[in-house]
Amino acid sequence: MNNAPDNGAGRTVRVVIVDDHTIFRSGLKADLDARMDVVGEAGTVEQAIAVIVETRPEVVLLDVHLPGGLGGGGREVIAGSAALLGTTSFLALSVSDAAEDVVSVIRAGARGYVTKTISGKEISDAVMRVADGDAVFSPRLAGFVLDAFGTAPADIADDELDKLSARELEVMRLIARGYSYKEVAKELFISIKTVETHVSAVLRKLQLSSRHELTKWAAERRLL
Amino acid sequence: MTTAVQRPTLVRSSDRMIAGVCSGLADHLGWPVKLVRLGMILACFAGGAGVAFYAWLWTMVPTADENAKRNARRPASPIAPAVSLPPVPADSVGITTAPKTYDAGPVPAAFGGPSAAGGPGGSSATGGTTGPAGARPASGINASGDWWGGSALASWFSFRKIQYGKEILLGAALLLVAAILIARQFGVDVPLGTLIPAAAILGGAAIAWMQLDETRRAGLVDKTKADQAGGWVRLAAGLALVVAGVLVMVSGSGSWEQTWLALLASVAVLGGVALVLLPWGLKFWKDLESERAGRVRETERAEIAAHLHDSVLQTLALIQRRAGSEQDVVRLARAQERELRAWLFSDAAKEAGRLAERIKSIAAEVEDSHGHAVEVVTVGDTDMTDRHEALVQAAREAMLNAARHGGGTVSVYLESADGSAEIFIKDRGPGFNLDAVPDDRLGVKESIIGRMKRHGGTAVINSSSDGTEVRLALPSANADAGDQRNSEPARNSEPARNSEPMRNGEAKR
Repeated sequence: MNNAPDNGAGRTVRVVIVDDHTIFRSGLKADLDARMDVVGEAGTVEQAIAVIVETRPEVVLLDVHLPGGLGGGGREVIAGSAALLGTTSFLALSVSDAAEDVVSVIRAGARGYVTKTISGKEISDAVMRVADGDAVFSPRLAGFVLDAFGTAPADIADDELDKLSARELEVMRLIARGYSYKEVAKELFISIKTVETHVSAVLRKLQLSSRHELTKWAAERRLL
Repeated sequence: MTTAVQRPTLVRSSDRMIAGVCSGLADHLGWPVKLVRLGMILACFAGGAGVAFYAWLWTMVPTADENAKRNARRPASPIAPAVSLPPVPADSVGITTAPKTYDAGPVPAAFGGPSAAGGPGGSSATGGTTGPAGARPASGINASGDWWGGSALASWFSFRKIQYGKEILLGAALLLVAAILIARQFGVDVPLGTLIPAAAILGGAAIAWMQLDETRRAGLVDKTKADQAGGWVRLAAGLALVVAGVLVMVSGSGSWEQTWLALLASVAVLGGVALVLLPWGLKFWKDLESERAGRVRETERAEIAAHLHDSVLQTLALIQRRAGSEQDVVRLARAQERELRAWLFSDAAKEAGRLAERIKSIAAEVEDSHGHAVEVVTVGDTDMTDRHEALVQAAREAMLNAARHGGGTVSVYLESADGSAEIFIKDRGPGFNLDAVPDDRLGVKESIIGRMKRHGGTAVINSSSDGTEVRLALPSANADAGDQRNSEPARNSEPARNSEPMRNGEAKR
């Protein structure tokens, strides 16, 4: 559902795959197209941190649920590689599209997430997008954002981290409706880059906001 | 110090005069049977010590048959350790094996044998039951017992401490009794009036604690931290209180001062008893708790197993049989995933009967019947009314169309709050021209557009070569006509603006 960015052609992205299922890792490796170069794999939290520090990839495809470590899964991997967050981007993978599984890794620093049922083309596009520093939002994550931030646009008086602007709301709504970035851009008469900027802004708010609904949500799941 | 292990087990023999005690004892000790019988008869004249000893052995020592039955088990009787010793081959019975083994220890063959195995029992039986009259004949055995107790106790204890600790304690106590009786014989003044109640209380507490078997006691000691200083202090305090309380009670009589003391003593006794029983209460409570938790776990496990069997295992079997058809496999897998997810994560009681849940179940139904994935995203929720039922039916028709003609994943987005609702159904099919749809086709015009209009909502269909999107909007029931008109012109404008005027209107209300 996300289209490949136009500037993605002609370069390869170094990728590390972190997932505890060997079958899934090899399948994903085969699915990724020629723009990706898989430089490492890991199956546990400890392995993942070691491989990421050693290979310094541009993108880490990170399973949300991982054995090892303190039981924190993907969140713990991101926390353990925090020093590399500037150069390495994390794209969360999950069997479930449920916000519960994913928002914790997003808030830990992941740039987006995709479900494991996604096609090879879609996941390759998502990896390229993350490598370019943009965010990858699935319809359900957009739905969660709308749920958490509310569907009313921010007033000037509001803390800007705690509410979405009218334009960001429009973008989120369209993504929740299943629009690709390109379709969103066409629908709103803006460029894809602008759409990406809006999505990144929403991601930042999702990561940094202390909005009541978000903190309550996180506290209920003991993510704080 | 493995002398006892080498000796034949002490059992009542089938070769018998009365109960097979003497021949069994002779076998066990490696003595001639006649000698044992003669000794027993002689002992009978010594104040009846022999009779008591015989009766005691008769009661406590099993026959050879009984012994075979409970061979491998722990000693059932705490005061007959020899009974539980491993059986030895029949050909190694007798005197030939005995001297060799005695070399290992400082015990002379003649006395070491009987005392090591029968020491605690034998000496105590005579010393304890016969009293002053029987003290002298018993002293022979006593002497050997004391001697054994003095020299070999330490090493024996270290070997057998865990296994026979309480038997040894009992033996030592009985030896002490015998020693006191002998001391009285020699005219030493022993304060029996103080010793007897103290011994009774100590014995009672000891017996109470002995009822717990080894492992339970270990667990209890562990649980109550009785192995730490605090635990011992508590226990000692309890016992001291019990003893003091009873002694004061016994000695008290008459005046109110003493009554007051007695009252104090009773309280002390009760406190002491409570202190002693505390670990038990704790233990039983914990046992009960863990048993209950175990039962709950078991029930949960059974329920999960039953559910997985009915759902996941059946689906996996189906998938194996349909492995050739990719669409069937995908459909089965998606349906199973949906079902499992609902079972694992959703709170049925909370969400049942509301709009989001209805839309999800409709989407699942469409997905099952057409094999195309239907992704549902919901924001907010609202209660169902007749109007919302119409909205759901219109959405169902739109989903069916999308699955039938669209192909690929169908995206459904529901946004609702306070009775108003918007649903977007998007597919990625080749699209169609609404005006070109003939009037006799009821699907789109009647089931979707007409139905929404009748219930005060709107339906907009946007179709292009990239796909089709159906937008259904239902304002809340108390919305005034202006709001509905407001959303009408939005039909041909861009979709995001489409929903804004209405939302703003609601926000102002």
